[in-house]
Amino acid sequence: MKLTVNKSDVIDVLAKVQGLTGRKSNLAITENLLIRSEPDGITLIATDLESGFEGFYPAKIEEEGTIAINAKTLYEIVRELPSEEFRIHEVENRWIEIGNRKVLYHIVGMNPEDFPDHPQVGELEMVELAANDLKKMIEKTVMIAGAPNDKRAHINGVFLEKQEGSKTPCLRMVSTDGSRLALVEQELEAETPALPEAGMIIPKRGLNEVGKFLENEERIQAGTKDNKFIVKKENETFIIRLLEGDFPKYADIVKRDRGHEIKLERLVFLKMLKRMSILSSETYKGVIFNFRENNLEITATNPDRGESKEDMDIEYLGESMQIAFNPRYFIDVLNAVEEDTVVLHLIDEEKPCLIEGETDKRFLSVIMPMRI
Amino acid sequence: MILHIDMDAFYASVEQQDNPWLRGKCVIVGGTGNRGVVCAASYEARKFGVHSAMPGFEARRRCPEGIFIRPRMKRYKEISARVMDRLRDFSPLVEPVSIDEAYMDVSGCEALYGDAEAIGRRIKEAVFQEVGLTCSVGAAPVKFLAKIASDMDKPDGLTIIGEEDVLAFLETLPVARVPGVGKQTFAVLEAMGIATLGDVKRFPEEILYRQLGKYGRRIMALAHGVDRSKVEPVREHKSASSECTLKEDTDDAALLKKRLLSQAEEVAAELRKLDVKARTVVLKLKHADFRQIARSETLPIPTRSSAVLYREAARLLDQYRLRQKVRLVGLGASGFVSSALPVQQGLFSGGEDRAENWERVDRVLASIQEKYGEGAVCRAVLRDNGGEEKE
Repeated sequence: MKLTVNKSDVIDVLAKVQGLTGRKSNLAITENLLIRSEPDGITLIATDLESGFEGFYPAKIEEEGTIAINAKTLYEIVRELPSEEFRIHEVENRWIEIGNRKVLYHIVGMNPEDFPDHPQVGELEMVELAANDLKKMIEKTVMIAGAPNDKRAHINGVFLEKQEGSKTPCLRMVSTDGSRLALVEQELEAETPALPEAGMIIPKRGLNEVGKFLENEERIQAGTKDNKFIVKKENETFIIRLLEGDFPKYADIVKRDRGHEIKLERLVFLKMLKRMSILSSETYKGVIFNFRENNLEITATNPDRGESKEDMDIEYLGESMQIAFNPRYFIDVLNAVEEDTVVLHLIDEEKPCLIEGETDKRFLSVIMPMRI
Repeated sequence: MILHIDMDAFYASVEQQDNPWLRGKCVIVGGTGNRGVVCAASYEARKFGVHSAMPGFEARRRCPEGIFIRPRMKRYKEISARVMDRLRDFSPLVEPVSIDEAYMDVSGCEALYGDAEAIGRRIKEAVFQEVGLTCSVGAAPVKFLAKIASDMDKPDGLTIIGEEDVLAFLETLPVARVPGVGKQTFAVLEAMGIATLGDVKRFPEEILYRQLGKYGRRIMALAHGVDRSKVEPVREHKSASSECTLKEDTDDAALLKKRLLSQAEEVAAELRKLDVKARTVVLKLKHADFRQIARSETLPIPTRSSAVLYREAARLLDQYRLRQKVRLVGLGASGFVSSALPVQQGLFSGGEDRAENWERVDRVLASIQEKYGEGAVCRAVLRDNGGEEKE
């Protein structure tokens, strides 16, 4: 294989695939990038055995061929190359030359035949949306990560389903770690093909990688087939293997109709929470929310470090309540909400608390208290 | 004035007290089965050369008429607790150092109880009244001397080392009797030509430090009668565990897990007693070749549920590849936090929460067993009680 390619055409993708190739898997070859020559360009393939990426980039091909080369090495080399144009040439026995007139690297690749088969999906129905919108959905849901060794589908993956209804159909993603939940919706155009009714669970890890490739207003397509979730951009495709399992019934948890409704200034609340979580530690995570007449006081106690308290004015005329929460969960939500005012829906110290922006009802989070 | 109270041949004496037909006989606690070691030997048995830590087969050889009894830890703990409580009648500064030994600081109690000898007699009397057992008491101005003193006239002894007698006592005290001097230290001192604390006093301290490190300084201080350690009534517990040596080596995971389940219950009970929850669960295994390993897992949420402790220990066992048979298995818990810690609740029921909620079952089972006896209720799988497998 012998070809010339422009650094600016590939440097971005080389950086973004590191997430896939950097992940340790059972096959050492997944640390490699598969590069295959095409009539007027190259196809780059990367996988971590759960998610796979394929993209096409322009290049000048002199000799056809396919190579498998360490992704990190290739990225670092290309990143530091002084020139715009550089050459990739497989000289013999898997030794690959990379460079230009002045700089030359001689790298040993792996056998491309050993590279895991990349799934081909063929024809399928897909929904269309803006890359940015999907990216926001992903960001708001994958931030809720479960414990690394928790393999349960509903903790490890995000639930995706299509909501039909009287209004415009929308895509909904729900994510949880067992103690809190985030739900985000995105409207789709009226004419959209159907997605399976039951919904699907997509690994958070895979979605996180897709997110890296989504930017700006570019239209992208998403769909599902053969137990896989597919995201297609103009010249890049992501295929993620779905998780098997059930997602818990969350409909009851996201009801807004009960309890007290309390409005708060997002930034003031966020800053207070940040200050009150300074004394938290792995062992002493909780703080106590004291709801009183028109005032919310938060107290934090850590026998190893000390105590703190702070209060802010709110609009609240219900009875006094004392509820313990992990402040980190609130901080995450408040960072994701894009409005100035948030609304808390609270029932008592044993029921979950729902938080959302004042006007934007497309994103909400539910947080379970701690028991004192 | 510091006292050291040491129960005489404790386990054996408890057995003789509970079972009158054992009195006057050679009672040996432990050493039953083909692997046990002696926990305690009555004074009658000691005449045959039997002592603690001796392997059972050797004890049987030396004392063929000995009556070998399985230890009843629960009973010994019960008696010990009662003894410690009686000691506390005299002074709040009681420091239990083992199941049958305690230090007491009675400074300032002379007005109430009289001098060292009078206090010593009253304590011995009180203990005997409470549990019918004798103890040996040592009294001295400092801790280490009190401990040496209690050992000097066993059984049922009372030895006082007055302030004025300390120096003379130290002069001729053989180093082997000093707390902290074990086989290694003794060998080193012997090689240096040191036989008594008097010899230590005259020895250059720097060389002692070079040979024995920190302990060199300590033994020099002791040789001058200086021991600053105080009697500390409260010692913070840092871990709780339960382990046992199996009757037969095994690599049967199911058997080991059964043991672990029973140990999880014991450790959970201890955690409840200490009013703490634990963050770390430890699995301990000793192989047939005596090589020991420990594996641990730290949990995001502290627990004292026997179900969670067992689940983690079993998981650690599954993850560890048993290549050899195992002679000992144990479960431990550490990383204590106050049990009043707020606990994150789950949004959805079932799964994680259930194992944690088992703590309530633990408490109910324990209270039933307390009222109606251990056999009244237990987990089905432990029905035939690992007593069969354990030594």
